[in-house]
Amino acid sequence: MRSFIVLMNKEFIQMVRDFKIVWLPLVFILLGITQPVMTYYLPTILEALGSGQGITIDPSMTAQQGGEILAGTLGAQFDQLGIMIIAISLMGIIQTDKANGMLAFILTRPVAVRSYVGGKIASNYFFTGFSIAIGYFASYLYVNFLFSNVPVPDMLTALLFYLVWVLFIVSFTTMISTLINSPGLIALISIAFLIGCRVIVGLSSMIDIVNPASMSKHAMEVLITGSVNPNAIGNLAVTFLCVALAIFVTNYWISNKKFSNE
Amino acid sequence: MIRNVKKTFKNKTAVDNFSMELNSGDCVGLIGPNGAGKSTLIKMISDIINPDTGEILLNGKKISSMKKEIGYLPQYPNFFHWMTAKETLMFMGKLSGLQRSELTSSIPNILKKVGLSGEEDSKVGTFSGGMKQRLGIAQTLLHKPSLIIMDEPVSALDPIGRREVLNLIQEIKKETTILLSTHILGDAQEICERFIVIKNGLKIEDTSITELLQRNSDNKLSIEITERDQKWIGIIKELPYVKDVEVIGNKVKVKVENLETNKNLLLGHALKHDVDIVKFEVGNDTLEEIFLKLVVEK
Repeated sequence: MRSFIVLMNKEFIQMVRDFKIVWLPLVFILLGITQPVMTYYLPTILEALGSGQGITIDPSMTAQQGGEILAGTLGAQFDQLGIMIIAISLMGIIQTDKANGMLAFILTRPVAVRSYVGGKIASNYFFTGFSIAIGYFASYLYVNFLFSNVPVPDMLTALLFYLVWVLFIVSFTTMISTLINSPGLIALISIAFLIGCRVIVGLSSMIDIVNPASMSKHAMEVLITGSVNPNAIGNLAVTFLCVALAIFVTNYWISNKKFSNE
Repeated sequence: MIRNVKKTFKNKTAVDNFSMELNSGDCVGLIGPNGAGKSTLIKMISDIINPDTGEILLNGKKISSMKKEIGYLPQYPNFFHWMTAKETLMFMGKLSGLQRSELTSSIPNILKKVGLSGEEDSKVGTFSGGMKQRLGIAQTLLHKPSLIIMDEPVSALDPIGRREVLNLIQEIKKETTILLSTHILGDAQEICERFIVIKNGLKIEDTSITELLQRNSDNKLSIEITERDQKWIGIIKELPYVKDVEVIGNKVKVKVENLETNKNLLLGHALKHDVDIVKFEVGNDTLEEIFLKLVVEK
């Protein structure tokens, strides 16, 4: 337990020293305000740039509900560019330690592998979740300002659902970072798999049940319709199971020292 | 204590049926050519990789449950470059289960011991190889382990760094048991009393330095002469007490029957023939020569 806290603290100090603590929230704030601002000004921009001839601007576009715009932030911004940024910022989470020998070195100390993995995931999840929440709140403020108000309970419920999806993103990337040695490949596999998951949401209700990315869909539904989908509870359980599986694989892999293959 | 340890990587046996025993207070040098399996063995002892068969025990207990009693220095201690020296020691010390208060009092002393006081707030990223190695040693000493394992502690350092680290090891070997691997024999000779020679994963020698030198001393005289006296070599070959003559350039290695009585006879003989002697010494094989013999022949 003590080494878990020591390792977690180390991660936080590292984030401060790497200035990750500044840029990651900033990126998500930018992403968060993109959706409402772009949607709001798009008609004006099009008008100013083109002659406007032949372009019909659907008047319902600017008349969208605030909830829909906020859902758009999650679905269009965070689930695309956001996933890529998270995957790239986390690709070295275990891989760097493997590459420079610090993982082996740390494990020569009386440190349980679960403390190491737990410290990594907890600290990085906490921070990634925090950055996303900040970006989401920024988006929420702009939506309320430029469009209609979104009820606070809906906004918070949606955020909670979304953060469960983020937990899966973090633990999945950590797992890939443990299994694979090349940082580029780690990012590629994580991004392809996670965005793939997100894209197939809605294709079939069977797949949706076992797809952690459904959490993102539930978040959007809460924002748009104001009510929670009854499938959400089952999905929630499956997602947590997926997270547990990813953490278990990571833990197993490191415990059995498969990372040093010299 | 290591019992019948074996490790195979993809059909290549790195360490084969290796056994050895260390007593407390020993300073043992693990020597062998590159690729002999030294690092693999060291990594198994420090529980970084698991042996395929066999077991490694410390005070009768499995090594994986005794990590607190082990201090490990990797071949290239990397640390986190963004941490300062003090933070690194704090971090490693806490992971070893020490309390913050203990560490705040012991870290300045240890840094002083390894000659890094004044650098406690510099980032590890700015350290030279020798400094990193010394910081690594500081880290192994923090929790006062009963066994310190060092993988090639001086191989990657320049002469100055090597000197610093060797002196430091001399200093700490008074207090604990040390196992270190190296392929630089001079260093091993200087700090270790006992050697284990390993080749192709097999132990081929386990002995003390004096024994090794004694066993390989066979009444040899080493004489260095100048070019013009080469024919004198032919003459001494005929002497009754000379058993064998070995010529390497201007150096002549003469094996005699009895070192005590024959060495002055030979010197007198040389003076009588007006030989220009550059060097005349009772010469045993150096450790390096013995090592080469061991490793190349067997």
